Amino acid sequence: MRKTVQQWLEEGIVDLFLGYRAVEGHPIPWVFRKDALHELEAFREGPYRYPLEKLAVEILREDPRVRLGLLARSCTERAVTVLQALHALDRERLILLQEPCCPSPLHRGVVCSSLAGPENGSQKRRDGIPRGRPLEELETWEADERFSRWMHELEKCLKCYGCRDVCPVCFCDQCTLQDPELFETGSLPAEAPHFHLVRAVHMAGRCVDCGLCEEACPVDIPLRTLYRKVGALVRDLYGYVPGHEPVPLLWGPLGDGELERLVAGERSREMVWEAVRRCSG
Amino acid sequence: MDYKLVPSVCPYCGTGCGILYKVLNDRITGVLPLKSHPVNEGKLCIKGWNAHAYVHHPLRLKAPLLKTEGRFHKVSWDRAIRTTADRLGDIREKHGPDAIGVLVSAKITNEENFLAQKFARTALGTNNIDHCARL
Amino acid sequence: MTNSIAEMEESACLFVIGSNTTECHPLIATRVLRAREKGAALVVADPRRIHLGLYADVAVQHRLGTDIALLNGMMYHILVNNWHDAAYIRARTEGFQEFSESVLAYTPERVEALTGVPAGAVEEMARLYAKSKPASILYAMGITQHTTGVDNVKAVCNLALLCGNVGVRGGGVNPLRGQNNVQGACDMGGLPNVLPGYQPVTDAEVRGRFAEAWGVPIPPQPGLTITEMAQAMMDGKLKALYVIGENPRLSDPDWNHLRHAMKRLEFLVVQDIFLSETAQVADVVLAAASCAEKDGTFTNSERRCLRIRQAVEPVGESLPDWRIFCLLSQAMGVPMDYNGPHEIMDEIASLAPKLYGGIRYDRLGIDGIQWPCPAPDHPGTPFLHKDRFSRGLGKFHAVEHRDPAELPSAETPFQLTTGRMFAHYHTGTMTRISQRLDAEQREGYVEIHPEDARELGIREGELVRVSSRRGEMEAPARLTRRVRRGTIFVPIHFGESPANILTSAEAFDPLAKIPEFKVSAVAVSKALQ
Ligand code: SF4
Ligand code: SF4
Ligand code: SF4
Ligand code: SF4
Repeated sequence: MRKTVQQWLEEGIVDLFLGYRAVEGHPIPWVFRKDALHELEAFREGPYRYPLEKLAVEILREDPRVRLGLLARSCTERAVTVLQALHALDRERLILLQEPCCPSPLHRGVVCSSLAGPENGSQKRRDGIPRGRPLEELETWEADERFSRWMHELEKCLKCYGCRDVCPVCFCDQCTLQDPELFETGSLPAEAPHFHLVRAVHMAGRCVDCGLCEEACPVDIPLRTLYRKVGALVRDLYGYVPGHEPVPLLWGPLGDGELERLVAGERSREMVWEAVRRCSG
Repeated sequence: MDYKLVPSVCPYCGTGCGILYKVLNDRITGVLPLKSHPVNEGKLCIKGWNAHAYVHHPLRLKAPLLKTEGRFHKVSWDRAIRTTADRLGDIREKHGPDAIGVLVSAKITNEENFLAQKFARTALGTNNIDHCARL
Repeated sequence: MTNSIAEMEESACLFVIGSNTTECHPLIATRVLRAREKGAALVVADPRRIHLGLYADVAVQHRLGTDIALLNGMMYHILVNNWHDAAYIRARTEGFQEFSESVLAYTPERVEALTGVPAGAVEEMARLYAKSKPASILYAMGITQHTTGVDNVKAVCNLALLCGNVGVRGGGVNPLRGQNNVQGACDMGGLPNVLPGYQPVTDAEVRGRFAEAWGVPIPPQPGLTITEMAQAMMDGKLKALYVIGENPRLSDPDWNHLRHAMKRLEFLVVQDIFLSETAQVADVVLAAASCAEKDGTFTNSERRCLRIRQAVEPVGESLPDWRIFCLLSQAMGVPMDYNGPHEIMDEIASLAPKLYGGIRYDRLGIDGIQWPCPAPDHPGTPFLHKDRFSRGLGKFHAVEHRDPAELPSAETPFQLTTGRMFAHYHTGTMTRISQRLDAEQREGYVEIHPEDARELGIREGELVRVSSRRGEMEAPARLTRRVRRGTIFVPIHFGESPANILTSAEAFDPLAKIPEFKVSAVAVSKALQ
């Protein structure tokens, strides 16, 4: 892989290459360049993942001519496709160096931070939503129990907005989650479940299931599971899977009018609840 | 174009979370949590995620200021340092070193705190040195 | 902290008192909640109903200033039920006899009357803490910012010793530091009575070593604390003040007092990154670089010395604080010169060898090292007092409940407590200018119980006037059951509604000189428009 990067840079296939480099033993996103090829000695692959595509957007935007190489796991590729669909990056100038990834019968031996993570402790198994469980398993619980388990998780929320800030496909200038008309600001926990459901709704047709949000959540909320639910719904309703093709989903699980009102800030709790009820089947 | 991520520590609470500053052409554009850091393991609170916001703020002080007739004026470092040293020296001369106090900070580094108290105890000659940890 | 942050995940019980952890130390709350999800017991005691309480086995709201009564009450149950660790007490502690006699006077009835916490809850807290091992105690300014702050801490330590929880992995007594380098500022001798490494200035041998290294004699008598400095300014004894990176006009307990005191100074020099409220009244302002613009180290609450690195050039002509000190010292005729912070750290290592002796930039990496680290090949110390205490045996201290300096009266029937909220930091100079943090909370507020508000005719968002013997302020009301009836809460971050105009500079702990920020008596009314 290092060889390829070197070749790309030397031959001018790309001007810059975004990958990882070991800095005092820690892998850190790094921009490699032709005039500092020696830095490639510390080129590093490993389990850690940062939202590289988010950094790529910044770089491409800053210099409208630069051609950027990008180390891309499968999730990175999917996110790039969504960003392309949303016209958030110039796909022409981005060249992916694919790193076969995301464990499946075809890809074994994958090293990825999303496969590790804190164990599901006894109390989490009793009162909360254990992480990494398939949706079908959660659906065996009665609605009431499911709700109380989700509330156990969501009411831990510290409002760090890390799920949004780390997410490769979240990039609105004015984020609804910080709209004081919609949400109570200035106190903890976040208004559960509305806060999380609004974000979940926004992830419909976008979320590429990379799991970076869950890894960034300081209170171990199984966010990936929540957004997978939304993803499954979108797939079943519209046959759309974000990241497969560079076309956007034009409808959401909310009707157009509802969506408009939501965006315009005329939210009513019931509306969100309605969406949630549909989301949770 | 210069784009780099610089490992550092969140400037806010005493937890000491590891952060990465995103630096684009000598401007910090954002912060990411340092994934492999022993303290925060890739997570931050809202303050940490915004740990850069103050750095390039227009209200940052860009030069030393000297007040004359109730108004501040920008001055050279030379002038600011000379004035400060002279005034402190005069007061020490007239009233003794213990007429001067130094308040250090929980926001500056260890090395700077060390020099601040060294300055108080050697150049000024007083143990009147404290910080806000009590507060 | 005696123990490490990550270790908390291994605790069988976490007892959190006087710390609103999810708001003030969120990434420590991470570990607390993780431990909880792994099955640890969680006990929370705070005069306010805090977020973490949602996840506690027992969460109590004791009256302001009754921490000792509550802790002694817990220890009463531990003693009478024989839940204490007799073997540990015999082997590693002293003073148990006298201490246990004093604690036995804290009967359930008395404790309930003092604290307002039902006796059954106190017993349950005691049981959970004593029966789950190892158990860790976390506290913050809710314990220290009282006239009884030092005694509060002693009571916390008594509890930990009683159950054999000091010197064990996953246990300990863990004060959470409010600002990022409070630990380091103390370690470096930013205190009137100690040189770097907590070496007393009154010790001639210590002074001798520093004098030799620095070539200047060290003054032998301890200096003034910040609270005493304010008084000395009033009395005209302190003529000049050099304030570095601090905004005491907003963080000092008694704003009016300090403002008057500062007016009497002949010379005020402030070194900061912004023109803070304090800098505005200075004679000279020295423009400092921010911590993204320089190299150095911070030491976090778990004693971990961590490197910060320069990310960008200092704005304008601002200079790193260490360079400013060198310039000033040279201008005053005392040479001070370094090639960089790493050289300063080498000097620290040589002068505070017990704690920092082995700390060198080339081995800190990104993970840092936890002191004590006495030698270059020493790995650092995740938890303290493993086999022995620094003084040999751990000492029990009999401590008694005392009322806060100010109790409610007819004119000032409410109790005020102050603190932080999650989106801002300290005096707000750094956080309030961030758009995203500002969006979360734009202005100050007064938390008041809905019933109290109703009686006073105050509705949500209406301006409330709060006054104490020292001054008054106004801010919008926030009606919430987070506070007890008869108590209000004001956050400290907002200069236009300054909490410290209300608190008292006269009431502080006689030993630690920490002001009583957590309790004052105030009157509350609807503000006249
Ligand atoms: S949560 Fe919604 S509004 Fe906020 S950035 Fe993401 S998509 Fe945009
Ligand atoms: S898994 Fe999380 S971070 Fe990744 S795309 Fe979905 S919402 Fe964003
Ligand atoms: S990352 Fe977790 S704690 Fe932070 S806002 Fe999202 S859900 Fe809340
Ligand atoms: S990110 Fe939050 S918890 Fe971590 S050091 Fe900064 S303020 Fe403290």
